[in-house]
Amino acid sequence: MPRLLASALSLRRDPRLLKLPPYLSLLCIVIGVVWLFLLPLDDYSRRTYISENALLPGQVHTYFGGSDQNVFRAYKHETDELAGKGNIEVNDKLESIAKGLGLKVGRQNFTYSSAGNTHSGQNIYAILQAPRGDATEAIVLVAAWKNVKGELNRSGVPLVLTLARYFKRWSLWSKDIIFLFTPDSIAGPQAWVDAYHDAHDSSRVASLPLKSGALQGAIALDYTRETRFQSVHIVYDGVNGQLPNLDLINSVNHVAGGQMGMGVAIQEMWKHSNSYHDRLQTMLRGMLKQGLGLASGPHSSFIPYHVDAVTLQPFGEGWQDEMAIGRVIEGTFRSLNNLLEHLHQSFFFYLLMQRERFVSIGTYLPSAMLVAANFTIMAIALWVKSGQPDVQEIITEKTKTAEEAERIVSPNPHVASERDLFLPLVLVAVCQFLGVVPLYLFNHLSESALIPAFVLFSVLSSILPFLLSNLLHTSTTSTTTQQYHLIRSFSLLLLGMFLSSLATLNFSLAFFVGVFSAPLTFVRPCPNSSTLKWLSMVVLYVLSPTTVVLVASMLPGLDEKVGCGLGEVLRQAAFAWDVTGTYTPVVVWCVWWPAWIVGVVSVLGRPGAGDKKVKKA
Amino acid sequence: MRPSFPSSFLLSLLSLLCFSPYTAIANASSSPADSISNSRSDYHEQLILRPLPLSTLLASFNFRSNTSLSAFEAHNFRFFPRSLGQILEHAGTRELHLRFSLGRWDAESWGARPWNGAREGGTGVEMWAWLEADTDEEADRKWLTLTNALSGLFCASLNFIDSTRTTRPVMSFQPEGNHIDANATNMHLLYGVLPHEVVCTENLTPFLKLLPCKGKAGIASLLDGHKLFDSSWQTMAIDIRPVCPEDGECVLQIEQSIDMVLDIDRSKRPRDNPIPRPPPAHEMKCNTSKPYHAHDTCFPTDSAANQDWSLSQIFGKPIKGTCPLTDPNVSPVCIQVPDSRIVFASEGAVEKKNPDQTSRCFDFPAENDFEIFLPAPEAEDGSVVIEHVVKPETPLLYAERSFTGHGQERGGVQTILRNPSPDQEVEFIYMESLPWFMRIYLHTISARVDGQPGKADSLIQEVYYRPAVDRARGTQLEVRMTVPPASTVFLTYDFEKSILRYTEYPPDANRGFDVAAAVITILNRDNKSGGNGRNSRFAAYNLRTTTLLCNLPTPDFSMPYNVIIFTSTAIALAFGGMFNILVRRFVAANEGPESGLKKGVNKLKAKVAGFLKKGKKESAPAVAAEEEKKME
Repeated sequence: MPRLLASALSLRRDPRLLKLPPYLSLLCIVIGVVWLFLLPLDDYSRRTYISENALLPGQVHTYFGGSDQNVFRAYKHETDELAGKGNIEVNDKLESIAKGLGLKVGRQNFTYSSAGNTHSGQNIYAILQAPRGDATEAIVLVAAWKNVKGELNRSGVPLVLTLARYFKRWSLWSKDIIFLFTPDSIAGPQAWVDAYHDAHDSSRVASLPLKSGALQGAIALDYTRETRFQSVHIVYDGVNGQLPNLDLINSVNHVAGGQMGMGVAIQEMWKHSNSYHDRLQTMLRGMLKQGLGLASGPHSSFIPYHVDAVTLQPFGEGWQDEMAIGRVIEGTFRSLNNLLEHLHQSFFFYLLMQRERFVSIGTYLPSAMLVAANFTIMAIALWVKSGQPDVQEIITEKTKTAEEAERIVSPNPHVASERDLFLPLVLVAVCQFLGVVPLYLFNHLSESALIPAFVLFSVLSSILPFLLSNLLHTSTTSTTTQQYHLIRSFSLLLLGMFLSSLATLNFSLAFFVGVFSAPLTFVRPCPNSSTLKWLSMVVLYVLSPTTVVLVASMLPGLDEKVGCGLGEVLRQAAFAWDVTGTYTPVVVWCVWWPAWIVGVVSVLGRPGAGDKKVKKA
Repeated sequence: MRPSFPSSFLLSLLSLLCFSPYTAIANASSSPADSISNSRSDYHEQLILRPLPLSTLLASFNFRSNTSLSAFEAHNFRFFPRSLGQILEHAGTRELHLRFSLGRWDAESWGARPWNGAREGGTGVEMWAWLEADTDEEADRKWLTLTNALSGLFCASLNFIDSTRTTRPVMSFQPEGNHIDANATNMHLLYGVLPHEVVCTENLTPFLKLLPCKGKAGIASLLDGHKLFDSSWQTMAIDIRPVCPEDGECVLQIEQSIDMVLDIDRSKRPRDNPIPRPPPAHEMKCNTSKPYHAHDTCFPTDSAANQDWSLSQIFGKPIKGTCPLTDPNVSPVCIQVPDSRIVFASEGAVEKKNPDQTSRCFDFPAENDFEIFLPAPEAEDGSVVIEHVVKPETPLLYAERSFTGHGQERGGVQTILRNPSPDQEVEFIYMESLPWFMRIYLHTISARVDGQPGKADSLIQEVYYRPAVDRARGTQLEVRMTVPPASTVFLTYDFEKSILRYTEYPPDANRGFDVAAAVITILNRDNKSGGNGRNSRFAAYNLRTTTLLCNLPTPDFSMPYNVIIFTSTAIALAFGGMFNILVRRFVAANEGPESGLKKGVNKLKAKVAGFLKKGKKESAPAVAAEEEKKME
């Protein structure tokens, strides 16, 4: 052991070691990305299982059907008449039906403004008080009048009304059941959930007149089609990439797939052959949605409040009718009703790659962490490097303690270098704070001004590094190599820190930002080689935040929301920021963009070689 | 004869004796809510049935027995249950109130509570008692005795009412009985509540055993766990108090009551087939006026309609005669429906209509089964349906309490208090007894009138607050406040959640901690000055809010073991290496001082050498001394 240590220590002085960090960083990135592509393999993913024993999904007989279908048809006639009518008129009708069933009905107005548009409406909800319950817990059944795409929820609303009537007949409910009807799929549920937890801004969103107990789960129904269907699509992405407890998805899966014998799909993979390719595609779609952090349905708003929720969407041509999806909901509600405690057993962090296969956080997290770590490794290496005068051989980054640092320098006491911290700190801080400008701009401009503002900002953001670079050189003291090292070190340090913490909250976002900003690790001032310089510049500009946003908005979408033009993307982002509190813009403009600016500035850098301030110790 | 419902329904209808509504005998003295006691030892029981809107039925069972105080003290029990009497005497209890409740009263639909809320408690078990004791400690001791004894008697976890769940209310409760020295210092009021206790059939059995006729005869024969605990709301109450009439001897009165709200639809389902399967399409009641009405399309109308019912359909059996011990002057069964409605009763029963036009009572022979059948009101146009049930009285106050905020660190409580009266303000005492792990911030307590910006703290007139002591005592908060006429007041306060030790979590699945219902006592406007006795009641109306579920930060109890094992391993591996690196200086072999073994060997060599040298030096003088001796 001592021998080993001794040889390691002698290696520490080896000049070859000092060249290692960039390769180490590259290795981290490569391993991180490859890791991700290994996940769909059988050896790395796991089959899902029900972890909470109390759920017992699919263990009860479901009785919804028979003459309830007649009632459904009647309610469907009632709601069909309301198509195209105003929100209040719809709610009046829904209220009269719900009151006729003996439910308690409440209404709530809300008004959100985003990108110069006003999104207002009125939610209506009915509470079925558990016959023998004590109002301490509740589960929610949501039917938005219009789904995310703006289609009328033609069968969903009458089905929820029919279920309300059916559920009223049972005496076994241990939790209250709340039937929530919202005019749209994002703002309405968000307003309602905020108000339910008293986290609302009372100037925009009204308080709820009626409340029940702690919400234990929610199911949303998005059932626009009027013909028979084949399978059910589970939408589970929450705001900011938060996910519902895996047990809930598994329960729905069990009830729909196992008990009812209908297919289950996730992530719009209408056909899934369970091959590597399909699994990878499912996973990447899930990651993309998670990374964007947008609300994907009425259920999304519930998840930040630790209320597990999913949206069910029937799809495909088949022989299943409304009663079948009704029974799926009945079965799921019976399972949720069994819960003795809040869903906590299973996973909250997972990537699903097939309806019965997932990877948990322990398996996938290293991928994003390695990508984030590459920045930190480089930052430390640059810090160490900045402590060494250029003439000396650079010493490894493995500086453990002050004592050791001292010892590293001590063999040759003439070459200790004092770090000039002021300029680098100021530059990095200024760039970080500049990130607030686009953040504010894109979330407060009106819709018509968004595209011009984006174009203007893209141009400015492209010019800014040149301005900064010139500023660094026209100032009285020219910037030294050491200062460039420090600038890059601080910037990468911040990036690595932000991304590694973000990876635990929103894995996909951290991973994507990490991959896109990976070149920042390797770019450096290249005063001697102009080809290298311009190559770096091209790579950086292709992977700049503004270019990525622009290209993503032009791409024919995997997700329709993305492929619909720049204006729509910016409007969606502003809406998500204002209504659901999506923090993706913060990451893009305050983490990624500043790092990118600093990266370009350092590529443009012409470190003055003459005026190095090396202080002899 | 015994009608057999529902198999041969029409036949049994014929067998019932129909009373013409116009041959009623008015009986002024037996107003159901009137409970003026007699001074002698007696017993009476009464069942009041009141159909409520939305096809529900309120059934109030009331059993009352008196024993004179002298007989009680002489251990001469007749109607008063001996088991309870001995406990009371042993624990020095002067007045006792015990409540077992389940479900919630839907004031919006059902109106004011039965008995003006005086015979109900919050969800779970609630009890309060006036104990005779010289000091607080003695009172605590007696309270402990009382709760433990009652725990055994009623098969409830009353023994869990420890010091953290016991409070001493200051404003909310007044003795109901006549105490000679009601305000004397040796009367201690203690109040305890168990919100999580699930009331069930094991509590009903001991309750029925206290009755003189048990559950064998009289109205108590209807009581059955299956029906009672399937009701939408039920409360069982026991009140024991001394009553001193103006003339005559003081008596100790025990009043037992059970109030339940039954869903008629649900209760009529046969017990062997309780699953609410969808009825066949042709049995559905549809709104045929809808244009789309067809054989496969039906807009249902049934839930609003009033249904027919009979006692044996609802309770599964008829009343088995009357209890022979009961006071014959009190009618055993009363039903509160408008006089215009037809009520059929079994043969031999005598119907007495009360002058208030909304209730009638029945007397029937002790040995006969008794049955009531209430046919559905004639299907007229929908406008007059409401006339078929007595219009519920509007309560003095609506109260609804809920948590605000989210997360596991802080929270808030919001109580919405609505005064429906157009011209009278309501003054009441709002009492919370909170567990110690909810630490309330008293400075955040505030009242706000709906629709008016800013606080309206003038509504809060008096606050009595006893802060919690961790693990020893709960918070007690009593607020005397008013709500202006026709307005809604929001009473809010914030609290912080403590972190429990892991052994303090109950062993069951952790759904959260129940927080007891708030007790709202509306003060009697005419009698603010106080005064005792039953004729000048202190409270005009009582109500309880629902309980709340407080989520504390909860460890996943299987997780700690995994974590402990995992972290121990990690620490064991990492710590050794880390510690070594931190405290040792590693240098290459050639640059450092001599290595350990060499050093040790050298040291050993040096020692040996030193020892040898020393030995030589020491041995030399000894030899010299010997030589000296020899010289001598």
